[in-house]
Amino acid sequence: MRFYFLFLSLFLSIGVFGQKYTISGYVKDITNGEDIYGAIIKVKELENVGNKTNAYGFYSITLDQGTYTLIYRSTGFETQEMSVVLNEDQSINIELTVPKDVLLIEEVVISAEKENDNITSAEMNITKFDPKDIETIPVIFGEKDIMKTLQLTPGVKGAGEGNAGFFVRGGGADQNLILLDEAPVYNASHLLGFFSVFNSDAIKDVSLFKSGIPAEYGGRASSVMDVKMRDGNLKKFGMSGGIGLISSRLTLEAPIVKDKGSFILSGRRSYADIFLKASNDPDIRNTTLYFYDLNVKGNYKISEKDRIFLSGYFGRDNFGFSDIFGFNWGNATGTVRWNHVINDKMFSNTSFVYSNFDYEFSVGSGDEGFGVKSSIQDFNLKQDFSYFINTSNTMKFGVNAIHHTFRPGALTGDNDSFNEVILDPRYGVELGAYIQNEQKLGARFSMMYGLRYSGFNLMGEGKSYEFDEKGNTTAINEHDRLESIQYYQGFEPRFSMSYILSETNSIKLGYNRNYQYLHQLSNSTTSSPTDVWVPSSNIVKPQIADQIAIGYYQNLKENMFKTSVEVYYKNLQNQIDYRTGAQTVLNNEVEGELVFGRGFAYGAEFLVEKKKGKLTGWISYTLSRSLRQFDDIDEGSIFPARQDRIHDIAVVLMYKLNEKLSLATSWVYYTGDAVTFPSGKYEVNGEVLPYYTERNGYRMPDYHRIDLGLTWYLKDKNKFTHNLNFSVYNGYARENAFTITFGPDEDDPSKTVATQTALFKIVPSITYNFNLK
Amino acid sequence: MKNIFQILLIFAALISCQKEIDVDLNDADPKVVIEANYIGTDSLVRVRVTQTSSYFDSNPSPVIDNAEVSIIDQSGTPMDIPSTGNGYYELANYIPNYNTTYTLIVQATDGTNYAAQCFLPSPVQLQPIVEQYFPPGLFSGDGGYVTLIRFNDPADTVNFFGAIQGKNGIWEDSLSSLLVQDDVLTDGNFVERPLFNIIYQSGDTAMMELRSIDERVYNYITQAQGADDPNSAAPGNPTSNWNNDALGYFSAYSYSRQTLVIP
Repeated sequence: MRFYFLFLSLFLSIGVFGQKYTISGYVKDITNGEDIYGAIIKVKELENVGNKTNAYGFYSITLDQGTYTLIYRSTGFETQEMSVVLNEDQSINIELTVPKDVLLIEEVVISAEKENDNITSAEMNITKFDPKDIETIPVIFGEKDIMKTLQLTPGVKGAGEGNAGFFVRGGGADQNLILLDEAPVYNASHLLGFFSVFNSDAIKDVSLFKSGIPAEYGGRASSVMDVKMRDGNLKKFGMSGGIGLISSRLTLEAPIVKDKGSFILSGRRSYADIFLKASNDPDIRNTTLYFYDLNVKGNYKISEKDRIFLSGYFGRDNFGFSDIFGFNWGNATGTVRWNHVINDKMFSNTSFVYSNFDYEFSVGSGDEGFGVKSSIQDFNLKQDFSYFINTSNTMKFGVNAIHHTFRPGALTGDNDSFNEVILDPRYGVELGAYIQNEQKLGARFSMMYGLRYSGFNLMGEGKSYEFDEKGNTTAINEHDRLESIQYYQGFEPRFSMSYILSETNSIKLGYNRNYQYLHQLSNSTTSSPTDVWVPSSNIVKPQIADQIAIGYYQNLKENMFKTSVEVYYKNLQNQIDYRTGAQTVLNNEVEGELVFGRGFAYGAEFLVEKKKGKLTGWISYTLSRSLRQFDDIDEGSIFPARQDRIHDIAVVLMYKLNEKLSLATSWVYYTGDAVTFPSGKYEVNGEVLPYYTERNGYRMPDYHRIDLGLTWYLKDKNKFTHNLNFSVYNGYARENAFTITFGPDEDDPSKTVATQTALFKIVPSITYNFNLK
Repeated sequence: MKNIFQILLIFAALISCQKEIDVDLNDADPKVVIEANYIGTDSLVRVRVTQTSSYFDSNPSPVIDNAEVSIIDQSGTPMDIPSTGNGYYELANYIPNYNTTYTLIVQATDGTNYAAQCFLPSPVQLQPIVEQYFPPGLFSGDGGYVTLIRFNDPADTVNFFGAIQGKNGIWEDSLSSLLVQDDVLTDGNFVERPLFNIIYQSGDTAMMELRSIDERVYNYITQAQGADDPNSAAPGNPTSNWNNDALGYFSAYSYSRQTLVIP
């Protein structure tokens, strides 16, 4: 409890006194009118006085009466100064320019002159990307992908080839909150994980929070990935796109009324199935295999103080083999936002958010056909306030309520042999309320502290189950509509601070506690769209993560090199694993298939980054462990989680040869995943079965791979820029193990052998990109 | 569903490659493996006692011939099951008492007693099977006939079934060719669906056997069939009905059969 008093007294320490005036307004990009998030506003005359824009580009600074020079700056823009005679409250909207020479090809190396925000900001462990930053980084099939690039940064690990999802600091793949314009995206991958659902053309920026997670975010245990869609060009019509081997994309944007409202429409579709149509084989010809994404967003400034945003995302994957089977899945999200400037210090945002993920598959057709469906649907109402109290304190507070509907599965069809099975839907309401303050204490010390309250109410109508220790059902209880089946709640303190040692180095510390009330169940180690989301219940307790992290940051050679070392320890309660042979699909009593235990993860992350010059890029190294302990697995001994990769290295280099050519490469290396292999064999019914002795006691072979890319900027014609991107995935054709299977030798069944499957050798690709401004 | 995923991965596998590799595996201490079937319909008890061995050992599994094996019926009457060599123990003419529970005891030479219990369900009548023609295609290869399993699932009882197929007098009876099914989705229905293990041609004699099995055996078979799936979320040894950590299972079952000459 003392902890909470500490928070309370911190909040109360914020004083407001003296004759002061406020400057407030928006910071925008002059080229397209997009809001700039996190732009820094400094006061030249006053050392260490300043503020930054919120997520909607709004800022507010309160100063004593006087004459000042305000400095506005943001990564990738020219710094702008503005003289102000302050004797009344005033509104200043600023449009920042992009340096001319940067516009064409230096998109990779854009960087504001004096860039040591990494040293001075209180937030730690945020990895932030603008899609432009990563344009030349080679990726599979030439499709630039912000999620794949994030996996090259310290502490973030991709789940592997052919696998959606990623792991942050030893947490599970379902412990990452992925937000697209505030809407949760439940399955962020296409084509079994080879592509993310984020079409870079439609994305403004992405922030990944690994620790010290701000109190405004909640609902997942390990990390928050906050993706913001672009608002659309407020100045003039724009068109951009790309043609690749696998997919093509097109983005249109234009003002609705210049400087008042705009829209953006961005689509992407893959077309492997078009080639299949050319086949002679009718089965192949009738094969469906594609995905698409559609991002739409519009905004309109109703008045100087009010702005409305509407954004939507629709994406779907579709596989089908004649009428033998069909399988499709996708997300749909929608956000309606209302920004309102209450006064020059207080900014309000109200959002209504919808999110849906569903999958459906069908087998056969007509009388013999049947289909399986499953979905999760959210309605979220959210109210957030930013309160710019004074130059030392910026407070945020808000509330939200999410209504979840889980439809874990339904089997339907005309086939008389099968009875229809519709698993009981489950309903839950997730509540959140938070308050946080970002505070500067003198020139060197700044901190962000907050408290989040979260609660989850699992409601009827529905059933709840009770199980014995072996997972057999002992009781089924019926619940009426809106009857509370189970309520969980908790306080989640969040804290981060930084102490600036000098202009070039600082120390930061972060602590966060996160509750997670939704859990993803998977039939296999490779995550797939058929993984089911289940709510916390009388059986499944909320996952709770506590993490403490400390970091040292040092910039060298006038901020040319940024280096950092971060260490963390994370404790995970109420983790979920499965009984042997667990059946997670179409099972009303799936909770009986689960076992519960704890987890802990710790590690050190090293990063050296070069942001300026012809050669840019970074080297990241993570040394970490992620361990689990379950009473029901191996008699309670500690075992490594699958993502327990001890060493993880990524090297990303981008080199600008000249005005026309730019080269890039990335190399990754990591310790093989922990995996369960047999320690013996035996025969049953004449067939060899593996004899397992411990969970995850073995390792896959180490993984490493190089990707190479070349971007050729073609001759510009007026406002038209275009380029060709060549890339090679897995440059030295390393056969990285996707699976290792054990079984009898095909040629000599008396022998048992281990067989490794690798998915890709070399994958070359070419993409043409264009941009009409 | 997992199968569908594997099929999807075949698309990716167009450019994938497989090779045999060396993996350094530990050698666990040998464990007793008991595979026991009481085939009620044949009045036959057949038991095999072996041991685990190193995974890459190319010798046949070590056998145990000098154990004392016996079966006990629900009334408590024991019967010895004599050894027939090579790890096998057999007892014929052991008349079944359907819907009762049997206990099998194996006393190893080191004095360890292993016991397992199994319920013997009464047989469910397999209806005459019918054939269905499949044209050549991606999944059916050169094409041919599949046979449909047809039976009335007893209503309001929980049943577990196993089915095997055969051709021209030879049964395909192995762990992976045994199709097991519960009746959660089909309780009380007339079940009719094609089985794809064997594709027949005209003139073949198709054989089918429908087994009524115990729930724990059903669970064992489903787990054992997935035991070598490298992507299983919870890889482990199938849950056996033997005590004292023996591997394997004891299944008491009954069956009914049909044959059909494909026209």
